[in-house]
Amino acid sequence: MHLSDRVTGGVLMVLGAAAAIAGSRLPAVPGQEVGPAAFPLLIGSGLVLCGALIAFGIGRSFEVPEEEEAPPGPSSSPWRPGGPRALVPPALLLFYVLAADRLGFLLTGAVMVFVAALALGARPRLAVPMAIVAPLLVHLAFYKLLRVPLPEGLLAAPW
Amino acid sequence: MMDFLEAVRLVAAPDVLIAIFASAVYGLVVGSLPGLSATMATALLVPVTFWLSPIAAVATIITASAMAIFSGDIPGCLLRIPGTPASAAYTDEAYALTRKGQAELALGAGLWFSAIGGIVGTLSLVLMAPLLAEMALSFSTFEYFWLAFLGLMCATLVARSSPIKAIASMLLGLLVSCIGMENPAGTPRFTFGIPDLLGGIEPIPALVGVFAVSEVMRAMVTPEPPPLPRRKFGSILANQWMLTKKYQWPMWRGNVIGIIIGVLPGAGADMAAWVSYAMSKRFSKEPEKFGTGHPEGLVEAGASNNASLASGWVPSLLFGIPGDTITAIAIGVLYMKGLNPGPTLFTERASSMYALYLIFILANIIMIPLGIVMIRLAASVLRAPRAAVMPVIMLLCAVGAFATGSNLFSVLLVGVFGCLGFVMERNGYPVAALVLGIVMGTMVEQNFITSLIKSDGDILPFFERPVSGVLAAMTFGALLWPLGIWIWNRMQRRRMAAGDATG
Repeated sequence: MHLSDRVTGGVLMVLGAAAAIAGSRLPAVPGQEVGPAAFPLLIGSGLVLCGALIAFGIGRSFEVPEEEEAPPGPSSSPWRPGGPRALVPPALLLFYVLAADRLGFLLTGAVMVFVAALALGARPRLAVPMAIVAPLLVHLAFYKLLRVPLPEGLLAAPW
Repeated sequence: MMDFLEAVRLVAAPDVLIAIFASAVYGLVVGSLPGLSATMATALLVPVTFWLSPIAAVATIITASAMAIFSGDIPGCLLRIPGTPASAAYTDEAYALTRKGQAELALGAGLWFSAIGGIVGTLSLVLMAPLLAEMALSFSTFEYFWLAFLGLMCATLVARSSPIKAIASMLLGLLVSCIGMENPAGTPRFTFGIPDLLGGIEPIPALVGVFAVSEVMRAMVTPEPPPLPRRKFGSILANQWMLTKKYQWPMWRGNVIGIIIGVLPGAGADMAAWVSYAMSKRFSKEPEKFGTGHPEGLVEAGASNNASLASGWVPSLLFGIPGDTITAIAIGVLYMKGLNPGPTLFTERASSMYALYLIFILANIIMIPLGIVMIRLAASVLRAPRAAVMPVIMLLCAVGAFATGSNLFSVLLVGVFGCLGFVMERNGYPVAALVLGIVMGTMVEQNFITSLIKSDGDILPFFERPVSGVLAAMTFGALLWPLGIWIWNRMQRRRMAAGDATG
């Protein structure tokens, strides 16, 4: 997700302004000059300033030259059309949040590993055994040894 | 002396020794896999430390991080892909040595000087920490405010990108730390009516997201590294003693630079390696050999990145201000285990501190035999396809985040911070500054507001006390530093242009 400095700077400005305004509306502690509002107000204003500097390209001239040489290597090859694939991991984490209690850890984990392995270009020959073995091992380590209460759901582990 | 014997007893406990060995193997493997950094190795260890004794918990973090920083050299040397960012500075040099048929020399230098750097760094921790602890006992909220602020500024200074973007990242982190009701007034802020946000954003899910999930996301869009050709290695430590004698000065310079950069809050092993490698080239008698497979830079930078690891614990243990991203995680573990950072740690829990020093020394000694084994097995370990490693990492992120609070909201946070970290890194915003902001936000605000209340809203007392005055001056120096660099760069460029014109 390579965005121009104008976009990221603008987002920071909006965010900073929102934080400063929302912060200044926080109720003050009676009898004290500085309360919960002071810090968000300060940070918000700082963000607005930084955002503006970045958006108008002032920060660019500060940039150390060696940094500018770096991008061509990694940025030319990885930006294949498969860009949205980067969203697979967070989407799978969201899936975990929604499904873990109902399906149980083993099934949810298997789906996550399978989909992620395929997205990384694995053949089903690798992805299927991975999806079976990895959640079992993680479950064994975390449930049995570390006693994390992983949800059982539809399929309970044999231990 | 009693404390020291007690410390030996603490470290010699079987659970601690097993923890050291297991985390050493874990650190070596994770560090050697490209894309898995030492910070990520540490972040994924946190849920495991819940179930360990305090000393064993600290031991796993120390050992795993030291091993990971060394073993990041292995793929750098053999494949020209750094295993961790800390090895990136001298990857080209190490690979050039491999192409000249001297892979043993490059790997051996990485191993031998990593161990030396680690031990020298530990000695600096042993010497520096008690001295500073004495001083820190007299610190008030004013000094702590400036220290924390200075720490944040240092983090933006050393980032290898635009300082304005670094400051913006840091402010973003501070803003994240505002969420919840853990502020001096106890008012819920920015919770948007979500009860899970009342307790604030825990640093651990944020760290796991920024350092681990974003790395899995990056793996999705970058091509897979090539497989490692199998090769036979000769003796790995054969010529290291000769190198040690020949490059004594660069080695010590690397150690000292590493220690200084480690102590600076927010700047860690990767920065130490970059600075030391550049320094080595500048002061070398034969700078023209750099880049063609010359071990001098490897000696200096290899020692430097491991030295910075130990000295990074100095501000963390004394003030609760992380010296790098690894200690940012370690501080959370210290609090959890009742070893709250602060100067009194060195007087009241002296035996635990001695135990910590011993673990550092021990970890750096076992690094040599285990490192040799790892180098010999590297071809097999690096053969593990990324499509098999990354999905497991992602599953561990989910379970690890869940384990820290036993609620699913942390898993969601991990995903959100993964996206944030990914987007920020793509656009040149350093994530280390963000993390530091999140970890230190509460501390900065607490000391800032308490100081303001104490001084009745007056700014002057912030500068009046001698130590706080000095710290304030240093902070403003750090703020104005980028401006100085910028002017210097412009002048340099103008001089180069003039040189081109005449030459």
